[in-house]
Amino acid sequence: MAIIVEGRIFGLIALLVITGSIVYYMQKAYSGKIPKLRRLQAVDVIDEILGRCVEMGRPAYYLMDTVSMDTPSILAPTVAAFQILAYTARRAAHLGSKFFVPVTQGLAYTIASEVVDEAYKAENKQDELKLEETVMYLPDGADRMYIINHMWSDEMAGAFFLGSWYHKAVIFTENAARVGAMMLGGTDTTHNIPFLVAICDYSLIGEELYALGAYLSEDPTVSASLAGQDIGKYIAALLIILGSILITIGMDIKGLLSM
Amino acid sequence: MSDRLTKMQIPIILTAIIGILMIIEFFFPMPTAMTSLNVTLRSFVTIISAAALILGTLVLTIYHGKKVGTKSSEWYYSIIYIAAFVITAGLGVINVRDTTFLWIYNNMTSPIGAALYSLTAFYITSAAYRVLRARNWNSAVLLVCALIVLLMLIPVGAILFPPVVPIGTWIRSIPSGAGFRGMIIGTSLGIMGLGVRVFTGRQKEHLGIREERRKE
Repeated sequence: MAIIVEGRIFGLIALLVITGSIVYYMQKAYSGKIPKLRRLQAVDVIDEILGRCVEMGRPAYYLMDTVSMDTPSILAPTVAAFQILAYTARRAAHLGSKFFVPVTQGLAYTIASEVVDEAYKAENKQDELKLEETVMYLPDGADRMYIINHMWSDEMAGAFFLGSWYHKAVIFTENAARVGAMMLGGTDTTHNIPFLVAICDYSLIGEELYALGAYLSEDPTVSASLAGQDIGKYIAALLIILGSILITIGMDIKGLLSM
Repeated sequence: MSDRLTKMQIPIILTAIIGILMIIEFFFPMPTAMTSLNVTLRSFVTIISAAALILGTLVLTIYHGKKVGTKSSEWYYSIIYIAAFVITAGLGVINVRDTTFLWIYNNMTSPIGAALYSLTAFYITSAAYRVLRARNWNSAVLLVCALIVLLMLIPVGAILFPPVVPIGTWIRSIPSGAGFRGMIIGTSLGIMGLGVRVFTGRQKEHLGIREERRKE
């Protein structure tokens, strides 16, 4: 019997190398060597959107779409969206912008409430916060009509579409565009990235969402794991180049990959 | 047992053990008993995630209850919610296979969901109109590529303009495919990073716990 399942040796090696580099950078961060993250333009866009909302006296919507906390592929962008929410809610509290965060999942609702509550407390503006109206639980399905209806009645001036987005990306961004809202969109769901990029005024593509979350949260663990992930990217780029060369010179690498 | 141990340490240790078990099962041949244990553990996910729904439903019911109690704006819609919730949940609790309960699901919940989903078709059309305008060089390239791919996908397009088939196939499999793979690699690495943070207890959002760790 084989020790490793056939065709998965390369996967295992890649997993060990990338996980090892993430753990290495995390250990380095604990000893005080935190990797520096580049400031993304989206940070200024958040302020710009909230500033616009204050000037116009209209609210900003922070939408996260699917926030299922038990699916790994959804948890990653959802965590990033919460990290960005913490900063955005704090800036909204500071600037005095009206803010609305609808959430479609129980656990995510609890976290979002806590994040917004903490943000207003940090700015010493908890008196201005009506938590039940700011963070609202809406059942998945019913949320579409509620949000669309309120987008129009509130005449929202700004919107954030961050997290794991699926078909609702088109519905909400199109309505927001018609209302005339300024939008920041970002998702890692590949089939919906084009919609957010095309419709939103500013967008975050794929893992830029994680980078923005890490930058804004100032969490050394997240910054360190981003640095570790970069090693994975270098390996991927190297393998792509190597694979292209080997195939071009006529070598059959299929057998190598199915080891 | 201390509160921290039950609320944080035990769930983190359990998450790490079960997660590592799943990874081991993927890479190494395992005895049948171990594989069936992993299958059972995976079925727990469905049960536990259903429990999270209770919290959300409770919050929503309290919100609407308060709205009716204080007669705030549009409170009458809240009565509809409460009535629908009581009837549906009541029938479901009595007998989930009951025909009335199934009738509500098949003839009300399901069509409403489908109708809401179908909204996408209308918005995608107007979104396409908004996007596909040649405002600059970038959007002009997007417009041309989108036209070629659309023509390729509709049956009449290939008959009217046969070259759109090879060009469209090339656009989808080479430039578009390469771009998407880059995104998928980035996203997958992000998920790996999250996995490491979850297993080492540095990320606790999945437990409903949020901690701020800002650098000094």
